[in-house]
Amino acid sequence: MSDHVLTIVLLAPTVFAVLLLPVPKMWRRVHRVSTIISSSIMFAFSLKLWFGFDADNPGFQFVDSFAWIPQLGISFHIGIDGISILLVLLTTLLLPVVVLAAWRLNIEHIKSLHISLLLLTTGMIGTFVALDLFLFYIFWEITLIPMYFIIGVWGGPRRIYASVKFFLFTMAGSVLMLVAVLYLAWFHHGQTGIWTYNYLDLLETAPLVPTSGGLLAPGLLVFAAFAIAFAVKVPIFPLHTWLPDAHVEAPSTGSVILAGVLLKMGAYGFIRFNRTLLPDAWELFTPLLMVLAVIGIIYGALVAMVQVDVKKLVAYSSVSHMGFVMLGLAAGSQASTQGAILQMVNHGLSTGGLFLLVGMLYQRRHTRLIAEFGGLAGVIPVFTGCFLFVTLSSIGLPGLNGFIGEFLILGGAWSAFPVAVVCGGLGIILGAVYMLMMVQRVFWGPLENPANQSLPDLTIREFFVMFPLLVLIVWIGVHPMTFLSPMEAAVRLLLAR
Amino acid sequence: MQALAPEIILAIAAGLILLVEAFLPRLRKHLSELTLIAVGGALWARVTMPLPGSVWSDALRIDGLASFVDIYILIAVFLTVWMAGPFLRRLEADHGEFYALLLLASVGAMVMAASVNLLTIFLGLELLSIPLYVLNAFLRQTGISLEAGLKYFVVGAFASAFVVYGMALLYGATATTNIVDIGERVVAAGELNPLLAIGLAMVVGGLAFKIALVPCHAWAPDVYQGSPTPVTAFLSVVPKGAALIVLLRLAVGMDLLHVSGRWVLGISIVAVASQVLGNVVAIVQRDVKRMLAYSGIAHMGYALVAVLVAGRDGGTAVLVYFTAYTLMNMGAFAAIALMSEREDRPHLIEDLKGQGYHRPMAALTLTVCLFSLAGVPPFLGFTAKFMVFRAAVNEGFVLLAIIGVVNSLLSAFYYLRVIYALYMEPLPDPEPKLEPSLPIAAAATVAALGVLVLGTYPGPVLEAAASAILSLVR
Repeated sequence: MSDHVLTIVLLAPTVFAVLLLPVPKMWRRVHRVSTIISSSIMFAFSLKLWFGFDADNPGFQFVDSFAWIPQLGISFHIGIDGISILLVLLTTLLLPVVVLAAWRLNIEHIKSLHISLLLLTTGMIGTFVALDLFLFYIFWEITLIPMYFIIGVWGGPRRIYASVKFFLFTMAGSVLMLVAVLYLAWFHHGQTGIWTYNYLDLLETAPLVPTSGGLLAPGLLVFAAFAIAFAVKVPIFPLHTWLPDAHVEAPSTGSVILAGVLLKMGAYGFIRFNRTLLPDAWELFTPLLMVLAVIGIIYGALVAMVQVDVKKLVAYSSVSHMGFVMLGLAAGSQASTQGAILQMVNHGLSTGGLFLLVGMLYQRRHTRLIAEFGGLAGVIPVFTGCFLFVTLSSIGLPGLNGFIGEFLILGGAWSAFPVAVVCGGLGIILGAVYMLMMVQRVFWGPLENPANQSLPDLTIREFFVMFPLLVLIVWIGVHPMTFLSPMEAAVRLLLAR
Repeated sequence: MQALAPEIILAIAAGLILLVEAFLPRLRKHLSELTLIAVGGALWARVTMPLPGSVWSDALRIDGLASFVDIYILIAVFLTVWMAGPFLRRLEADHGEFYALLLLASVGAMVMAASVNLLTIFLGLELLSIPLYVLNAFLRQTGISLEAGLKYFVVGAFASAFVVYGMALLYGATATTNIVDIGERVVAAGELNPLLAIGLAMVVGGLAFKIALVPCHAWAPDVYQGSPTPVTAFLSVVPKGAALIVLLRLAVGMDLLHVSGRWVLGISIVAVASQVLGNVVAIVQRDVKRMLAYSGIAHMGYALVAVLVAGRDGGTAVLVYFTAYTLMNMGAFAAIALMSEREDRPHLIEDLKGQGYHRPMAALTLTVCLFSLAGVPPFLGFTAKFMVFRAAVNEGFVLLAIIGVVNSLLSAFYYLRVIYALYMEPLPDPEPKLEPSLPIAAAATVAALGVLVLGTYPGPVLEAAASAILSLVR
């Protein structure tokens, strides 16, 4: 492809952010309108990727490569395959959604919020499309700065604690990855005499890094360095403790992006780098990943069950759901891997949707405590319908998207890991229990709290915020092949490595 | 003669500025502009004049390396003077001596970085240090400034004595003062004899005072805190850079990486100790300038790793690191000068609360510089750290690289503290009052832009550093 579609999709948000800079900060409406228009255009433009994508080609498409730091063999090299295309589109879709969701929020510094969101988008897309390990690392780290500000400036009462914890946890995970990247490049140079950080070149030599010779074998250490960076982001138990804090304190804009896209960066890293660069170490670590995934599923569900705060409940449910994704990746069959990738998208849609709805509820009542609610179904029926719908998608009702993902993951993992699948099944049941309990306590029962008696129902704007998510939830549930077929060839190639 | 034009321009300008102040009272208000012109002229001379290599019977080597170092020293001086003018005017301390001394100190740093002879190194070192003693104490009405001057003087004199004594021993062991010849002898012998080892240790120890490396760092926080902010900015980059280049010339000349296991061990320990101590102690600082002093100690720890690795990779990394460090420190101190209300009090982090919205440009430049210091991409600080750790990994010092990245993480904690004070806490009551100053803001912005632009497009810096280092490592 010579028309640089992917580069434009990647850099457009940054360009728009720079264009926003000189606009006076009092012009709040200008900021809102221009960001919503530009992000919608970016989404529409990114659909070019979808329609121009060749599903039968397992390799990278829309590849762009420019020499960037030729002295070190670093290039600006990007491309997408069937695995990353869905994640890129999810990112570009969620941006206009969250901008629209934050439309009426009466918050300060609206300009900076939009600039942060736009810069964050470039970072996230870049993480999914970078084909140069140096470039990947840059994008991976860049996402920290805007997210740090989004949590810290527009967050709740404990926002500073949450944002610093988020920053330090993520950075703690990723600094060692830098050394691992340096090591792989050095190793490649030793093998071939060429300095490069190109993913496709390193794919040839990285599997040769020795993994035998005890726990300190270079291959294992490199694997661990990558794995820790990604595990913090996913998050995998026991590295998840930053997540509830970050989610609860972040504004709902931040929570949606965090749950919808940022967590996926970790899972994506596992499949893109750990799995393919170090297949031998992956084999060795599979049982560990499997165990941690299962612990995450059960633990997340159990902790979610006892939460009194809706948002915190959804945050812990994220830990549980991302456990399924990791289970699918660790199982490593064609079906489970495809299921895991689809489940990443599902989680982005349903948990992102839940965070949006919780945000709307918070805007109406300024509380998120379950005990404060009850009987809302009679007051705000449309809102309740939306919430119930997204909840059902999240717990895997057949016919909606969550079911397809979980079914593929568990079905694909069954033959090799029956015990894990049984535990995962238990996690699904637990998930249904805590989500439905929460829905019951918030929306049904007697309407006791007088503060709840005159809440406004879903507005037109809010409906349009939810609409794309609802459509996709049904679409994936009814006709998943639309989304599964583009990734099939790419996953097959990946698993064959 | 031509090759030394920049130094000569600066020295003449220093004299002229004193004369202007004495005899042309009308121009007194424009001393900083005159100095800027002189520095700009020197920069122009450096870029356009030929690089003959050895001059004055090998007392100085005006080669690619010297030229690279000169350029960053001159840029640092330029930024310092740019912010010093309004800063001093505000405090009614705008005297010609300030600029003259600053220029002389720069000449000293440039001589030091260009010399391959122990005597000229020492000459440069003294020419650099003595004006700085005065500059530290330049705000003579404030106690902490005087204290800073006195402390730096006592410690500096002590360090100079160390260096001289060490040089005497090196001369005694090799019968030459030319470090290239000394290097050749060491390489031929394949080891350091005890006399050489002691001499080298003393020279390195003396330079470690100038660089503020553990365990010779104790002066740094007090001196940083007390000195006028522009002087702190100058102090935090120029002497350190010149001294590191001398260390690099010594290390490469003697091939210490391969000749002496003790050197490798000793420098590794100093580097790690500087990183750990600098970063850990910086966490508990309440004064921004003290915090940056400790962070500077840590940063020199990273740079020392690159000096240890030496060779082409290490040398390039030292130069890139210094370019980055100069820009981010200059930017950070300029932003602090912009946001500080008074000079006779500590510059507390608390005082920066809410400034992110009150003085957005200054806060933004400070934020950029701090993220860069923390080593977060896409800023130049990340590129520099990347170069250092890359050099370390390539030479087999993976452990040093790991310690380095873990330290970057530690450092993120205290840099973030300033950033969240800026953006996430409310303005204190009453609001701090300070008239905005365009030149200081311009200096800060230029530095921050450099950090950002060169960070996203580091090719030219890497290229320049790599070709500069060729004159040292073939």
